[in-house]
Amino acid sequence: MSGGPAVRISIESSCEKQVQEVALDGTETYVPPLSMSQNLAKLAQRIDFSQGSDSEEDVEGEPKDREWGKQDGEEEEGTVKFQPSLWPWDSVRNNLRSALTEMCVLYDVLSVVKEKKYMALDPVSQDPAAGKTPQVFQLISKKKSLATAAMILQKGAEKLSKSVTENQENRRQRDFNSELLRLRSQWKLRKVGDKILGDLSYRSAGSLFPHHGTFEVIKNTDIDLDKKIPEDYCPLDVQIPSDLEGSAYIKVSIQKQAPDIGDLGTVSLFRQQQKNKAGTQQWHVKLEAAQNVLLCKEIFAQLSREAVQIKSQIPHIVVKNQIISQPFPGLQLSISLCHSTGEKKNNRASPEKPKPDDHLYVLEHNLHQMMREFHKQQLSSVVIPHPSSAPFAHKRLRLAGPLAYDKAEISSWQQTEGLLEKMIKQAKHIFLRRRSIQLQLNIGVEQIRVVHRDGRVVTLSHQEQELQDFLLSQMSQHQVHAVQQLAKVMGWHVLSFSNHVGLGPVESIGNASAVTVASPNGEYAISVRNGPESGCKVLVQFPRSQIKELPKSDVIQDAKWSHLRGPYKEVHWSKMEGRNFVYKMELLMAALTPCP
Amino acid sequence: MEAPPVTVMPVTGGTINMMEYLLQGSVLDQALESLLHRLRGLCDNMEPETFTDHELVYLLKGQQGNPFILRARRSLSHPTAPWHLRYLGQSEVGDKSRHALVRNCVDVAATHSLPEFLNEMGFRMDHEFVSNGHIFRKGAMKIVVSKLSRILVPGNTENTEHLSLSYLVELSVLAPAGQDTVSEDMRSFAEQLKPLVHLEKIDPSKQRH
Repeated sequence: MSGGPAVRISIESSCEKQVQEVALDGTETYVPPLSMSQNLAKLAQRIDFSQGSDSEEDVEGEPKDREWGKQDGEEEEGTVKFQPSLWPWDSVRNNLRSALTEMCVLYDVLSVVKEKKYMALDPVSQDPAAGKTPQVFQLISKKKSLATAAMILQKGAEKLSKSVTENQENRRQRDFNSELLRLRSQWKLRKVGDKILGDLSYRSAGSLFPHHGTFEVIKNTDIDLDKKIPEDYCPLDVQIPSDLEGSAYIKVSIQKQAPDIGDLGTVSLFRQQQKNKAGTQQWHVKLEAAQNVLLCKEIFAQLSREAVQIKSQIPHIVVKNQIISQPFPGLQLSISLCHSTGEKKNNRASPEKPKPDDHLYVLEHNLHQMMREFHKQQLSSVVIPHPSSAPFAHKRLRLAGPLAYDKAEISSWQQTEGLLEKMIKQAKHIFLRRRSIQLQLNIGVEQIRVVHRDGRVVTLSHQEQELQDFLLSQMSQHQVHAVQQLAKVMGWHVLSFSNHVGLGPVESIGNASAVTVASPNGEYAISVRNGPESGCKVLVQFPRSQIKELPKSDVIQDAKWSHLRGPYKEVHWSKMEGRNFVYKMELLMAALTPCP
Repeated sequence: MEAPPVTVMPVTGGTINMMEYLLQGSVLDQALESLLHRLRGLCDNMEPETFTDHELVYLLKGQQGNPFILRARRSLSHPTAPWHLRYLGQSEVGDKSRHALVRNCVDVAATHSLPEFLNEMGFRMDHEFVSNGHIFRKGAMKIVVSKLSRILVPGNTENTEHLSLSYLVELSVLAPAGQDTVSEDMRSFAEQLKPLVHLEKIDPSKQRH
């Protein structure tokens, strides 16, 4: 229809075959294209035989002829026309043709406009009323979109605040699981069936005490959620064995007099319970107390076993919860296990208040330490056998067989001293120390303060030489004091005594002290000068009658003057018989006191 | 009729009546670290000990069928330690409900002249191997995780070759006869090691090569 040049158009049909099915492995099964006869049948069905055709030729005769199965596109002279539609590509052709027409028109218009002679382009004025959306409509749409955004943000904020409050609630309520985690970080737990059990004994630390030490962890469900939750509420509770309830300690005391027989075994004093540290859990306090009770029981069991087995001169008495032994005659050491269940105070032992000075904390601490030492030894690597198939035993014991040790050798290195013997030794030491100490050393941070028994206080600096010098000077003074005391005992008279004599060689450390004592009958006198540096000098004054080469004097004529004491003679103190200074002095005094 | 001399009387008591309770299992090499970690936590709190041992198994073939077996073991990591001689009896059958393998066990420490002594007595060495690994202890229980190696040249413990790509795990207790609570404790301990390693009683008499 257009007069322009012919435009070549390529037409490509889409996928010829239709996909019937896609198998599981991806292969496609196509619908097989219609065969000739099937195509013909399809086309024949489209013929509407009820409508007659306007063509001149007879239509009915031709359907039998299958020749028009072959499509002949350009056959306009065809005897029969398809009713109602034309050949299949017709619509396509029409559309293309109209598109071509339009394109040609556009091209023509643009080429004319380009000339600017016959046609000109003019902008189209915008109709304000027609093109613009009404303001109200814009407002409403904006409002709606803002409302949606606000709703989303609000939902998010609500969720956040809800989770924050939940967290705070949880922390306040102390979730059972987080509490269990805390418990597990400090104590051994294991799960048996549906119960959670724990071990508070010292067995994994080397103890051989047969107590099982098992505690159970239970959930605390008796909480009323409506009421306010108390401050110390804990969702976790522990159940400790009934014999480990309460608190216990081992009371060690030294007494001078022997108690009545009836009082034995009735010691059960209650010690003040310490205040719990802020922040510790109830279960922690409970478990620690139970563990302490168990350790005290183990210590007491070990002590009583030794008390019964060990043979000593004075047998030890074990009565109920008390062990009594006598380190020295007249001195009594009592070790007792005081276990209070906390329910009722057991006051039947002594109605008076408990004397805190009676109990020796040092010895109790030592008992605990020695027990733990024993535990540690059990775990020492000396016990591990090499080769690995040998049984557990001390390394030396395993050598005893091959090296043919005899009983003496084995007992020489085996530690035979038990807990009780060590305790007794320590008690003896404390007692002796108490009796013989004159000085009390207070060792501070910057200086040392020495308190003498007679009330003098001396402050020394940190230099150890000062302390050494001080102690030396004290020693020399002490010896002179000892002579003084000895004189009192032996009946000698003290003639003179001085802590700081001004005569004789000057001491670099402190001062020398001296004492002069006279025998009961006045015949002899002993002078002692003791200095920290110069040592001890002892002189004896003899009566004049015993000196041979006495100078004759005209003035002293009477014989009675010969009873007076005369010249001095020095004693070879180092050659003197006696274990120490006091013994030597005692011997000297005794030698100079004639028998009546 | 006078009493027979003392030397003919049967020996009772002492170390003769000790029984060894045993549970065994194995882990692959890859799982060793996690097993050691687990044992370190479950067992007594000590520094873990490693060992290297050399074991020789001696046989005395009598006229009867079963030869008499003695095991001599020495430590290569502690050369001055005495040798250890061990006799293991037949495993006690009977109580099927008992959880561990129970057999009579006699342990004796010996000097370094033990191999010559056994040779003079008529024993012949059947085989030897080197074992190295770790020992753990929990109370009276001993847990040994070891790798066995075959000795290629007899007498040369340096030249060894691993027998397998796994470690042998043994849980054993030495106790006097008649204590059955021991096997209960062993079983509950073995439960705690599952599923890392399954310790069970393996009867050596049921395994014949």
